[in-house]
Amino acid sequence: MEKEGENNLRVLMLGWELPPFFAGGVGMVCSLLSKALCQEGVELTYVMPFGPRMVRSDYMKILVADHLFPRMRFKLQEVETLLGAYATPESYDEEFRDYLLSLSPRDRAKALYGPNVFQEAYLFARKVRLIAQHEDFDVIHAHDHWTFPAAIAAKEATGKPMAVHVHITEFDKTGGVSVNQRVYDMEREGMHKADLVIVVSNFIKERLINNYGVPEGKIRVVHNAAEAMDKWVFHDASKIKEIDKIVLFIGRITLQKGPDYFVEAAKKVLEKDPNVKFIMAGTGDMLTRIIERVAQLGIADKFIFPGFITRDEVAKLNKIADVFVMPSVSEPFGLVPLEAMWQETPAIISKQSGVSEVLNHVLKVDFWDVNDIANKILALLHYRSLHHQLKHHGFTEVRNMTWEGPAKKCIQVYNELMNRGR
Amino acid sequence: MVSICFYFQVHQPFRLRKYSVFDIGNNSDYFDEHKNREIMHKIARKCYLPTNKLLLNLIKEFKGKFKVSFSISGVVLEQFERYAPEVLHSFRELAKTGCVEFLNETYYHSLSFLFDKEEFKEQILLHRKKIRELFGQEAKVFRNTELIYNNEMANFVQSLGYKTILAEGADHILGWRSPNYIYTPKTADRMKLMLKNYKLSDDIAFRFSNKGWKEYPLTVDKYAQWVSAANGNGHIVNLFMDYETFGEHQWEDTGIFDFIRHLPGEILKHPDNDFVTISEAAERYDSVSELDIHNFVSWADIERDLSAWLGNSLQNAATTELYRVGKLVKGVGDPKLIEDWRKLTTSDHFYYMCIKWFSDGDVHKYFNPYDSPYEGFIAFMNALNDIVIRTRGIKKKHQEAGVKNKGNGYAEEGTDSFSQSFLSEEPSESLLDIDMSFKK
Repeated sequence: MEKEGENNLRVLMLGWELPPFFAGGVGMVCSLLSKALCQEGVELTYVMPFGPRMVRSDYMKILVADHLFPRMRFKLQEVETLLGAYATPESYDEEFRDYLLSLSPRDRAKALYGPNVFQEAYLFARKVRLIAQHEDFDVIHAHDHWTFPAAIAAKEATGKPMAVHVHITEFDKTGGVSVNQRVYDMEREGMHKADLVIVVSNFIKERLINNYGVPEGKIRVVHNAAEAMDKWVFHDASKIKEIDKIVLFIGRITLQKGPDYFVEAAKKVLEKDPNVKFIMAGTGDMLTRIIERVAQLGIADKFIFPGFITRDEVAKLNKIADVFVMPSVSEPFGLVPLEAMWQETPAIISKQSGVSEVLNHVLKVDFWDVNDIANKILALLHYRSLHHQLKHHGFTEVRNMTWEGPAKKCIQVYNELMNRGR
Repeated sequence: MVSICFYFQVHQPFRLRKYSVFDIGNNSDYFDEHKNREIMHKIARKCYLPTNKLLLNLIKEFKGKFKVSFSISGVVLEQFERYAPEVLHSFRELAKTGCVEFLNETYYHSLSFLFDKEEFKEQILLHRKKIRELFGQEAKVFRNTELIYNNEMANFVQSLGYKTILAEGADHILGWRSPNYIYTPKTADRMKLMLKNYKLSDDIAFRFSNKGWKEYPLTVDKYAQWVSAANGNGHIVNLFMDYETFGEHQWEDTGIFDFIRHLPGEILKHPDNDFVTISEAAERYDSVSELDIHNFVSWADIERDLSAWLGNSLQNAATTELYRVGKLVKGVGDPKLIEDWRKLTTSDHFYYMCIKWFSDGDVHKYFNPYDSPYEGFIAFMNALNDIVIRTRGIKKKHQEAGVKNKGNGYAEEGTDSFSQSFLSEEPSESLLDIDMSFKK
């Protein structure tokens, strides 16, 4: 139910691309959180980065079409930028080069974007400052470090209190190795200049205290929730399903997500039960190495690599899978197991994740404990009552994890921010 | 005249270690020796030794006027022998005073009555023997695991020769009646039934240190008054509780030891009060009426029923398969295998699989050696699988040696509860596929 406002809270939110534009986890969270905040009566001015590749149709119409973003309470401010939620200095350089090459030689002198990602972040900040000076709002809420300079600029221009929302840190992305100093500095500056810092898990809270020097009293934990999805109705019985059980991994094939532990566990599972197929859906810098390792172990015929998959395919795979595994080395939250549980598939998740702090009806493992991962996969595949219980209780659990919870907590943070000023 | 009947339950299970699927067929070490020893030492230090000493002193001080009763499970007695013999010694000292009565229960503290009455009987006889050997007493009183009770059970226990049986004085079975009287079980008219006064028992066992309780702090004179109030309203006050209350559930710094130290004196100030053992109470007082308890009742959780152990499909699958495998096991007649199987019948294993506690975070969680009920289930089922493999191995050896296997009609390979596709010829490969025959 939409709440009619006496004094509605007004929030300037600096977020990332909303669906239907592919936005990964952060965009998904921004979208779900924004919707829930509007449901709670918050008036949102949402600053969204708009890159050269995004189709300039009436985006606002798309967003309000299904009444999930009530027009009265949601205002979109597009800002032309080459920044993306997952940009790295290296990926930005590539994108910028591509952009330059797409321009005619004469136009290249008038390039719209900064020559490197840090410059672009400051250009973006200048644009956001202008917006901030012309908008009415009570608080600023900024997601992830590329928006932090903009958030600081908006705060300084308007004097309004500001919260940053940390979904992931440079530390977690790189596993603590090869941390980019300038990125780190930008993250740190945002956290220190913010009035409050919102994090998605206690896991990240500890990271901020230990590695970024953020005082504990400044941090507020707001766990993510699950997205309400349609249950996939499975009509065609796939050939694989007739004989084999399916164990599923969905995520970027990169260090942070622990794909190598998945493969080692698979080997152990197959030693006990050869009738299992392993699906790893995703792409990433470790993909080639993983495929090679699978071949080396002699289990290539048990593995399937679908590559990049759409949201629909995610739902379908989750539905047909018997077990879902998230062996992440370091996961700030981890939305993927929630999607599996929503499709009534039991999940095995790494204890080194934020989501393990809020779930009960899952099996938890240390990511490095390959024996335990295999042990639990086999238990789920062979003990039917275990599979049954986790399937049903897991589904009920995620169904109750709505975004109303995090939205209300954010509102508490906003109120706290406003009261501090007084 | 009011007779106070203290009865203490002493029990610790042989806890399973994180027995994994890779242990099946390779390693039959199911129990966490290290953890069990560690816990035993801790509880001995915090509870058993100091409380036994305290009771011994009280018995001497009051020259036979202070009496208590115990039921000590077979599995914890074994752990005393293995890890803490001084505790066993102190119980034997208590036995020597003549003021302490020892009860019988199932040796392995199991739910066997619900599944296999023959096994139930065997476990009781084992316990009877152990108590006789260690304490020189021929028990006349029986209590089932966690005070699980119903008419049918009373009848069965009567046939084994017991004179008195205990049960929980739960509201839903008492109705308007009071637990302060002795009753006759329906279907067992030669026995006497004594019911726990749960209000007064839990005041000590649970509420004692709860600062939010309106009666906090519980002083000796206040409590003695409540107990004495039964005068005219009953014959006995049955204070039944876990022995670990003293020093473990209620830590020393709550003052629980001081409370018990001064309680007998305070109660005996009133000349109408005295302390009795269970059998003494049964001899002295007549039953006031018959009590018909058809559905099982227990002292566990709020519900006081079987849901702590059998409320969900994990627990049901585990217990069903356990007892089915039990028949296989007894068929091959290997004592070590039977003993290992029996250690799996201990009710605690199923208590740990309870999913209820996720919402309460209550008593179940405190003593749970696993991170979640699911982990407990997995370790248990893996261990059970290994028992099956050992059974088959022994059977094969017997067949080869031409030895006749005991019994007949036990489940062979290929019974419909074991899925064919996961069985194979070599024992080290096979895994049980447990059919969930228990429909919700």
